[in-house]
Amino acid sequence: MRIPILKDRAALLAAARSFFASRGIVEVDCPILSPYASVDAHIDLIRAGTQYLHSSPEYGMKRLLCEGMGDIFQLSHVFRDGEHSAKHRPEFMMAEWYRVGMTFPELIEETLEFCRLFLGPVSSAQISYREAFKKYLGIDYFHLTTPELEEIVHKSGIPIYPEALQEGKDGLLNLLLGIIIEPQLGVGGFTVLTHYPASQAALAKTTLIDGEQVAERFEVYYEGVELANGYHELADPIDQRQRLIDANEMRKKNGKETLPIDEEFLKALEKGLPDCCGVAVGFDRLMMLRHQTNQIGHVIIT
Amino acid sequence: MAQQVSTNEIRGGYKVEVEGQPYIVVSNEFVKPGKGQAFNRIKLKHLMTSRVVEKTFKSGEKLDVANIEEMTMRMLYKEPDGVVFMDESNYEQHKLPLDSIGDVIQWLKEDLTYDIIFYNGQPVSLEPPTFLELKITETAPGVRGDTASGRVMKPATLETGAKIQVPIFVEEGEVIKVDTRTGDYVSRVS
Repeated sequence: MRIPILKDRAALLAAARSFFASRGIVEVDCPILSPYASVDAHIDLIRAGTQYLHSSPEYGMKRLLCEGMGDIFQLSHVFRDGEHSAKHRPEFMMAEWYRVGMTFPELIEETLEFCRLFLGPVSSAQISYREAFKKYLGIDYFHLTTPELEEIVHKSGIPIYPEALQEGKDGLLNLLLGIIIEPQLGVGGFTVLTHYPASQAALAKTTLIDGEQVAERFEVYYEGVELANGYHELADPIDQRQRLIDANEMRKKNGKETLPIDEEFLKALEKGLPDCCGVAVGFDRLMMLRHQTNQIGHVIIT
Repeated sequence: MAQQVSTNEIRGGYKVEVEGQPYIVVSNEFVKPGKGQAFNRIKLKHLMTSRVVEKTFKSGEKLDVANIEEMTMRMLYKEPDGVVFMDESNYEQHKLPLDSIGDVIQWLKEDLTYDIIFYNGQPVSLEPPTFLELKITETAPGVRGDTASGRVMKPATLETGAKIQVPIFVEEGEVIKVDTRTGDYVSRVS
């Protein structure tokens, strides 16, 4: 069982590389070890001496974009402390790529094409984050107060832990999404969830839809499994710095260590990040679905 | 200070204390939607009432390990306010109050061994062996024709006081095997 899956994994790594090559996307290998960490409110890093193992090659890749490298991809192991479950490992493989001048809908289409390398001709449907809450829970959270939303979570039979409340609406939406909505996404075809509340996307451009400030962010789901996270990338260095500071504030509030801010990354943004979209896809998750297993341990070398 | 365990390490069967109550972990699921805060959905079964509740915790949160000891003890004798057991490893005697025994009282027989759970040094639950061989102390004699009328079972009282249903051909004074989880008659013991 194990050897055929690992051989298939090698075949898919090769298929991924030729997918990128055929589109003129160049492979890069930004260092895994970095003195600066990706600052995210909810991603914990693994330390290696005085440095960190990266949780995504994002900052390094964006610095290359600012230098004019053009379309790039990286196939890389990434590290996230404390993530253990049937479909989570603290070390996993991500395919991440950036497309200069590509629009948000075009990158969604390209991401689905990439997923189809693994899963065959799967259909897709798109729904916004806000519409998904209307469809699966019958609520328009944008017009609800935090206590009203809390009441809905209670009525859904979901127990609320204190730190979820600290994040206000986002914490409550996170519970509803994780417990009620996610398992229903991607049944029989990809679901592309788009336009998250602006507060839920550290590195995406934002826009106003129906009075709500939303991020140009998407996620791809198949059979209830989250596969990809993409952004129309935020290019404004001032806005970016503020979001990193906010993320650190949230970490402090949650009793987590604050992380050093990568000044080289921000300096590069000051020089100018070309208008681009980027996406990170969970390679191991795609292998799990391809081999119809719900255990990530079946598709990686353990 | 109580020993603690992180939600990342908790597996089914762990015994934890939540809001001052002892629970056995039934299941633990790690949930992390997109870039949101990771949390764990943990199903817990109350150690005494067996009621199952679901809780959520921020992932990485540490829970107190419940101070629980399980011991196998031999029943010695009943008293009006409790039952006396003996820890065979050190011959110490422990009296379990009736309220910690509950319905299990009907399965208590002298000289048999029982699994007893202590929480913070207090006995909280008592498990009888799954199958017991017990003598019928009282049951009406089987009457010819009962089977023909469709009647196949009749009430019986066992030596421990348990009242169960037995087949009509089983007579007073016989020893039978009974399933203590359900109170079902299993077979005759010859």
